[in-house]
Parts: sequence; C-alpha cells; structure tokens
Amino acid sequence: MGKLTGKKLILMGERDGIPSPAMESVFAGSGAEVAYAATECFV
Amino acid sequence: MATVAVKATAYCLAFTPEIGLRYGTTPCQEHLAHPDSPFLKDLARSAQPYDVASRYAPNLTYIGAMTTDQLAAHAQPCFAHLEDKPQRFGRYGEIMPEDEFIGLLDICDVFDLVWLERDFAASIKRKLTAHPLMTDAQLKHLEEGRDAAELAAEVAKNQALPLYQEGKMVGCCRRGHKTDENLSAHVLLENLASKAGAVLSLLHLIRNAGMRPADIDFVVDCSEEAAGDINQRGGGNMAKAIAESADCVNASGFDVRAFCAAPVASIITSASMVVAGARKNVAVVSGGSIPKLYMNAREHVKKNVPPMENSMGCFAVLLTPDDGQNPVIRLDALGKHTVGAGASPQAVTAALIWEPLLAAGLTFTDVDKYAPELHDPEVTVPAGAGNVPEANYKMVAALAVMKGQCEKAGIQDFVKRHGLPGFAPTQGHIPSGVPFLGHAADAIREGHMKRAMIIGKGSLFLGRLTNLADGASFMVEAPREAGGSQVAVSKDDVEAVILDVLGDLAKKLKE
Repeated sequence: MGKLTGKKLILMGERDGIPSPAMESVFAGSGAEVAYAATECFV
Repeated sequence: MATVAVKATAYCLAFTPEIGLRYGTTPCQEHLAHPDSPFLKDLARSAQPYDVASRYAPNLTYIGAMTTDQLAAHAQPCFAHLEDKPQRFGRYGEIMPEDEFIGLLDICDVFDLVWLERDFAASIKRKLTAHPLMTDAQLKHLEEGRDAAELAAEVAKNQALPLYQEGKMVGCCRRGHKTDENLSAHVLLENLASKAGAVLSLLHLIRNAGMRPADIDFVVDCSEEAAGDINQRGGGNMAKAIAESADCVNASGFDVRAFCAAPVASIITSASMVVAGARKNVAVVSGGSIPKLYMNAREHVKKNVPPMENSMGCFAVLLTPDDGQNPVIRLDALGKHTVGAGASPQAVTAALIWEPLLAAGLTFTDVDKYAPELHDPEVTVPAGAGNVPEANYKMVAALAVMKGQCEKAGIQDFVKRHGLPGFAPTQGHIPSGVPFLGHAADAIREGHMKRAMIIGKGSLFLGRLTNLADGASFMVEAPREAGGSQVAVSKDDVEAVILDVLGDLAKKLKE
C-alpha cells in the first residue's frame, strides 16, 4: 500500500514543462486514481 | 549528405494594437462577458504607441536591426530601457504601423471584404505609395474608400467588424456569408491578417534575396489559421493566395499545419522538395495571429507591466539548391518526436536534440547555438509562464550532463554559451526556433558561427484529437567548401563503384 492508495489526483501539465501524460505514467502504479488530467500551453 | 541553402530570410512585425484591443482572444472574450470591465479600460490606457514598439530591443532584434548578442548585453528590462531612436526597418524586414497594415489588408482582399473610410483610404494610399516594396500591381487593389455612414451601417446591420485608428472607425471587415460561421467577419479578419503579414514578409524576402517575384517557384504557408467554408473548414492553400498578392506569377503552393511546430516542419518539407529537384526554390512563409494579441495582458495590467503583445509576427525563408556559398540545412540529421517517444521533457529533448546529434556524429557542444521557443521573457515572466528559452536551455544542458558531455557544475555556462535571449512575439508558431534562422545564417556567412539547431514544438492536444505534443528540429551550418552537394552517397553507391573498378581490373587481367 503506497501513500497515494485510494487517493484521487488532479494533474495539471504544461507543454514546455511536465505534460500530463508524463505525470500519469509516474502515478500509474501508485494506487491513486487520476480524476482529471490536462495539459495546457501557456505560450 | 543532402543539403539545401538558406538563401535569404525576412522577419516583419505588424504593429496592430487597436486590432488586438478588440479582436485578440483575451480582450475579445472579456468584451463579450464584461463589456464594462476595468481590465479593458486599463488595457486601453496602458497600450503602447508605435514609438515604443519601434524602440523596444526584442522587436528590433526580430527585424534584424539589432543582433542577438546586442540584445543579450542590453539593459533589462528592455521596455524600461528603450533605444533612443525609433527604427522601422531592419536588416530582415520592418515594423509596419497599424494604419498601413489596414491598407495592406485591403490590398490583400480580393472579395471586397475590407471597406475603408474615404479620407483614411486616401491617407493610406499616400503612405503605401511611398513604401519601398509596394508596387503599382499591389497599390491598384487599394480601394478609394466609402462614407463613414456606409461603414457604420455595415457594422450595425450586417455584422461587419469595425477597424479603428486612434479610437475612430476607419474601416471594417465584412462577413463572407450570412450563416456560415467559417466565413464570419471575425474568421475572415484573422485569415486576411495572416495573409497580409505573410505577403509583407514575402515581399521583403524577395528583395533580400535579390530576386524578382516571378523567380519564386513554390510557396509553403505554415501559419495557424484555417481557410475554408462550412463544407471544408481548413481547406487551406493560403500559400497560393499569398503568392498571388505578392505577384509571384510562376509560383504555386500549399500549407503545412502542425501548431507551433509548423515552421520547422515546413522548412524540412520544403528543403526535401528542393533537394529532390521537385521545386527550384521554395519560400516558407507565415503571417501572424490576431487571437494572440494581448493574450497575457490580464497579468501585465495587473502587475503594471507594459502590455507588449501588440504586434503580429511574420516571417519568410527562401530555400534554394546548395550553392556552396550560403549556409545549409542538412537533411541527414533531423529531430523527430515520434508517437512512441514519450512526453517527459527528457524524452522530448532526446528526440529533438540528442538523436540528430548522434546521427550527425556531433556532440552537444558542436552546436554553437540552440534555438528552441524564443518567446520574449519580458512578456512571459510577468504572465507566470517563466523564461521559456532559458527553461529549454536548462533541459538541453541537463541532457548533456546525463550523456557525459557537460559537467553538472557547467550547466549555467552551457546555457550562457549555447543559449539565446528570447526576442520573438508570443505568437504561437512564430517564436518556434525560426526567428533565429536569419541571425544564424548571417553569423555563419560572416564566419562567427559554425552551426545552429532550430527546434520547433507544437501543442497538438489543443485540437482535442490527441494528447500528444509534437516537435521537429534541423541544423543549419556552414556550407562545405566544394559546395553543391545535394544528394547523399549511399553504401550501395560506393559498392557499385567498387564493383565497377574490380570488373575493369578483371577485364584488364584477362587481356
């Protein structure tokens, strides 16, 4: 059981920083549920 | 090694603050939601005049009136340390004032969409007649103008968009259809503005190349607009429309779209056509983006920073066969962000920078300058988006450390040596590496630089068809002394030559 098991995650990514698909990959085995993930482009 | 010459470049800014105040996405949305918003009043009050835009160092760097080294040494912030004298023209292009650009919109309009007020039309005719690049062929498209009342009625009754100068309506852009939203006045104004900016850059490009419009063989447009009607939104070929308005009678064209990665993708596509001999030369062009005018102005106004997103960026690049004289783009080592490459910054940087270096047998330090997103940080930092080029350089340096080609302690030095200050307007596709191509080509010609890498990245996910981003890159470098090398010699070619020689030898031994 990880620290994030059962938690819900909101992932806000940025194109030139860390995009949300990269964050989703990181949290894939954490036991948390990705409730919302989006990438924005601020430039 | 397949190589293509960069014969000439052109970079222009269309200074369009009043168009931006009404039709830039941020102010436009605010107009619709809160017409009496304090933000709109503050923005109008703090809008900068042409005199400021034409003394602002990043703008002068963009049009080639200042080098990137001069900009790097410039007192910061540049908006508080303006140059002494305004400068309209630079080595590559110009900063066109808004009234003349509205006139150029009319010149580029072949469907009577743009109407001008009579006195305004007369004053613009005088100004554009004095423009060094406007020909009679272009000026004949400038209309005589109409009564102000006629324009006001078209706005009131038929949803035309008013165009202002100093708060006074001087023209309007009409809709192209009563019910088709793809031909609404707003969409058409955006498309016409993009076309006009590209035409302006193409005219400068032809002059910079020492050619005639009829010499241009093909045009590729890489803007972010979509031209078409209800049955084919995005049908495109803005390129051919641009070529027509620039009097390039022997050219045809097409468009390439890839969000902000489109300029780099277009240059690679066009270079490939030139190498293959499919086209004698290709002009890659793009106009600017009305929606992005004052895109970050909400934060600028809030923080009392001058809102400098008042100009549309435009550019043009002419690619010709390698002549051994001009800097060359090499096609044997291109960066490509594949579907399966991954989205992490490390994966993207590896795909766009490390892999082409490997393919070319080069190290990170063999590239003098990297040109990724070259957004002006004086615009992006107050808006909360950070210093975009600097963030990119840190990522390149970090990858160089991981590959054992740079000491960890040397990251700051790497960024300084191989990086550039951002100087491009926040116009999406415009800052994406290409603004440095002109500076790089000049530095290579003058012997100050061996090689630069131009990197473009695009946010495909904004179109809601994929979560992926995209990217592409190429290197520009000094031509080989012999020059004229356009087609790579393959292993098969070498084997064939050896077999021929051995065959001849065997024949002689038998004799």
